[in-house]
Amino acid sequence: MTDTRELFECQAAWQAGRRQLSWPEKVRMAEAIRESLVRLRNTRPIDPKTDSAERLKAAPRSPSQS
Amino acid sequence: MKLVARLLNEMLAAGVIADYALFGAVAQMRYTEPVATLDADVLVAVQAPERLDVLAPIYQFCAGKGYSPEGEAVRVGAWPVQFVPLFSELTREALAQADTADFEGVSLRVVRADYLAVIALSVGRAKDFARILALLESGSVSPDGIAALAARHGLSDAWRRFRTRFLND
Repeated sequence: MTDTRELFECQAAWQAGRRQLSWPEKVRMAEAIRESLVRLRNTRPIDPKTDSAERLKAAPRSPSQS
Repeated sequence: MKLVARLLNEMLAAGVIADYALFGAVAQMRYTEPVATLDADVLVAVQAPERLDVLAPIYQFCAGKGYSPEGEAVRVGAWPVQFVPLFSELTREALAQADTADFEGVSLRVVRADYLAVIALSVGRAKDFARILALLESGSVSPDGIAALAARHGLSDAWRRFRTRFLND
């Protein structure tokens, strides 16, 4: 139990530290997260009723767009 | 995001839009830790809001700069940018009160934390509630500040429900 608590405390401290980064740095991190998010979303099964707009947003980029 | 900032400033200078401000997750990150988001949301005051194709001049301007539509957004560098015309008195006020921030040497208009929280309250999805909690945790807004702004925009009941559900008071 103590280990788990320490783990959560470490995680909370790490998150709080990331809050102190500059806005441009945080946006750059979000860009990196976004690429993973897009790949993850594209592995989901298609639900045409709800997913069309989201999947269009998540469409992979062509090299010319990068 | 620097590309996005430059594009928005050029759009403003060319008179395509009357004003703009980033909102949503990218704006939230000024105050909180980084969050996952698919796109950058931009509130825009357009020159002719009565037009049916209200975003057409924006899309034309973007196309002229080499930025193409991608779904409901326009791809600008790494970011799909979603242009959202003002949709309420709250968003009109949020735009009027927006900060002008410096993004690596380029000015970028951004909605303030209190308005981000109350816009999120008005939308009311799970991720919007998470945004309010993150802003509160960052200390960039206070419950009293949100309550006052929410009251001015007819959102007191929504704020009361949020407090009961998430703030245990």
